[in-house]
Amino acid sequence: MLARYLPFPGSPRSPSPARRSCRSLLGLVLLAVSSILAACGPARAQPLPVVDLSARTPLPAAAEAQITPLRLGVAAIISPAGTAESYDALARYLGERLGRPVELVQRRTYIEMNDLIQAQAVDLAFVCTSAYIEGHDRFGMELLVAPQVNGETVYHSDLIVPAASDAQSMADLRGRVFAFTDPISFSGRVYPTYLVQTLGETPERFFSRTFFTYSHERAIQAVAAGVADGAAVDSLVLEYALRREPGLAQKLRVIHRSPPFGIPPVVVPPDLPTHQKALLLDLLLTMHDDPVGRGVLDQLGIERFVPIQDSAYAGVRELTARVGRLP
Amino acid sequence: MKALSLPSAPASRHATLDRLWAIAGAVSVRTKILGIVLALTTLLGLGVTWQVRTVMQQVFIGELENRGHSVLSDLAGRSVDPILLNDTFAVYELLNDTVANHPDAVYAFVLDPAGQVLAHTFGEEGFPTALLTLNPPPAEGAGHLRYVSELGRLHDFSARILDGRAGSVHLGLSERRLQGVVDAVTGQMLLTTALVAMVGIAAATLLTNLLTRPIRDLVQVTTEVGRGNLAVRAPHWADDEIGALADAFNQMVADLDASRQALAEKDAARTRLLEQLINAQEEERKRIARELHDSVGQALSSLMLGLKMLAQTDSLDAARQQAEALRRQAVETLEQVRVLSRQLRPSVLDDLGLAAALERYVDEFARLYPHIAVDLHCNLAERLPPPVETTLYRIVQEAMTNAARHGQPTLISVLLTRRDGHVQAIVEDDGCGFDVEAARRSGRSVGLHGMAERAELLGGRLDIESSQDGTAVYVEVPM
Repeated sequence: MLARYLPFPGSPRSPSPARRSCRSLLGLVLLAVSSILAACGPARAQPLPVVDLSARTPLPAAAEAQITPLRLGVAAIISPAGTAESYDALARYLGERLGRPVELVQRRTYIEMNDLIQAQAVDLAFVCTSAYIEGHDRFGMELLVAPQVNGETVYHSDLIVPAASDAQSMADLRGRVFAFTDPISFSGRVYPTYLVQTLGETPERFFSRTFFTYSHERAIQAVAAGVADGAAVDSLVLEYALRREPGLAQKLRVIHRSPPFGIPPVVVPPDLPTHQKALLLDLLLTMHDDPVGRGVLDQLGIERFVPIQDSAYAGVRELTARVGRLP
Repeated sequence: MKALSLPSAPASRHATLDRLWAIAGAVSVRTKILGIVLALTTLLGLGVTWQVRTVMQQVFIGELENRGHSVLSDLAGRSVDPILLNDTFAVYELLNDTVANHPDAVYAFVLDPAGQVLAHTFGEEGFPTALLTLNPPPAEGAGHLRYVSELGRLHDFSARILDGRAGSVHLGLSERRLQGVVDAVTGQMLLTTALVAMVGIAAATLLTNLLTRPIRDLVQVTTEVGRGNLAVRAPHWADDEIGALADAFNQMVADLDASRQALAEKDAARTRLLEQLINAQEEERKRIARELHDSVGQALSSLMLGLKMLAQTDSLDAARQQAEALRRQAVETLEQVRVLSRQLRPSVLDDLGLAAALERYVDEFARLYPHIAVDLHCNLAERLPPPVETTLYRIVQEAMTNAARHGQPTLISVLLTRRDGHVQAIVEDDGCGFDVEAARRSGRSVGLHGMAERAELLGGRLDIESSQDGTAVYVEVPM
């Protein structure tokens, strides 16, 4: 009866177009949901490895080495990493030549290294000039050879300041921050102290503040970064650093160079067996004749190793005595 | 044959859809709307949560890997000096500080160049040696490996220190904290989804009520109408499709009511007409009986008495006079019988047609109502079908009688014309008029209904217009 008033769709027995579209919509929704669900659970590409962290075992004690390695000590003239890089080739060269492994030994301070030499915990060591004086005078540390650089076996203490600094001499560094390298370093502490003493002062009064960097390389970095207003460093280390990092030249200025002093030597403990000492001496003195040894020396910035006498360090000894005992 | 014997995939899908539609179609509109709202809200909420969770996990793991690489490279850089200077405790401190200061760090350890553990953060219980070979550091850059442990998913980062000259360092980061953040966010989002779903249900309930209440009302009203109560009306809630449906329904019920009322009125009028017809018939029979008894019977009795007296008369002259008197009496009686007969059925209508019959009726009417002038115009060239002539004759007769009885007219004009396949009769008077609708409603007016019934029987129609200045009856009958 209502059909007269409203156009209702046909009989419910035959599906109307509206119902058909409803049904296809339902089908579409089901399809979409199922595809989303299917996309939800993608199979993991690979199962992750499983580790039981609670399964702990005590660490085994380090096995005794079958062959005693040659322990090569290097004092902290440059940074530990720099030392490891620079002396690695030498250590390997010595190892090959001696037929035994060579272990590189480093310590933070010169005194620690001297203690190792005294205790024969190292067989061969590159030490600082003042460390040699200290070791020689204290327990008879023996000179083996000295590196020859630029045809000489001397080096200087270079007083450096930041490039922007207006300082022209040590006198201009009054009231500034000064970086010492090692407490017993000759070029890094004894010589600059000497310079301050010639001005009639002590470093404690002269500088507003001082600190130790424990290596020449770090002292150079401290000045370049402006952390210190001045530092005195090994001239050989400075040259080496400038060669390796030319950009440093724009950041630093050398305002004073000391007279030449005996170069940091290669030493051995006083009780090293004679044959071993002779072996090492021979190896080092002839190293520059061997192409491989030549390469290693080039890498260290050394022309060759030459014999050296304790007298070469007379000037150092005198100046150290004049400066007196340092705190 | 094969296609017939095996149900094809589209067909089975079709059947499944049919079944689903049967289930979905059987529930009420309220359930449908609630279901749609709930399904959409849940689907949206779960979808967004899943996507956010996935994206967060990817971002967090990427972030964890970046952090692992940067912390590892920091560790590798800072451990060079203490390792080379043989300061194992400084290495140990560095590792422990790093693990303590990074919330996701689980462990760190350093191996010497020979692969022996130099320092680690696992404490005194020992070292999980499985880690030694799990993720060996590559020659360049940092190694990264994701693995599972009892602490959840972990990432092991490894790198060589100073190109391996100082050994290698490993760092372990856990996903647990970040996974906790992801889980917390997921939980919050699921909670939000649940809340939104609840709000959605409330809104959908309200909406469903708004939508289905008019429909339920309509269903109730329909039931009521079905029981026969045509007085009920569906409320018009809003000017939307349902409102239009309610309006259409109400219009339908109103039309139904009016048509039923008209039918009832017509039925009642017909019943009354039938009663009055029977009464009139009885009255007519009484009158005829009375007429027959009073006039014809008496005349015949007197004629019989005269004949008896005639038989006893001896004188021929007297007999002739009496016979003459009897003959006149017989003629009068015959005239009375003719009048009676004509009154019952005017034979002139059959013999001479409508025009002549009306002219004769007008003459008789003029004798009956001498004070009313009758003006008859009959423009009919030929005879009409007998039913039409009878109908028009009776209608005109009734109209004139009604006018004379109730309207006190001075003039009645009757006009009959034939045009376009119709015959039209108009009876006008200058009487006082009457309320046509009231008369029709009162049900007493059998005459009016009788006229209309006669016209409608022939497929014609009858209209009455009446005012203080008179009444006009229009009849139109198709040929």
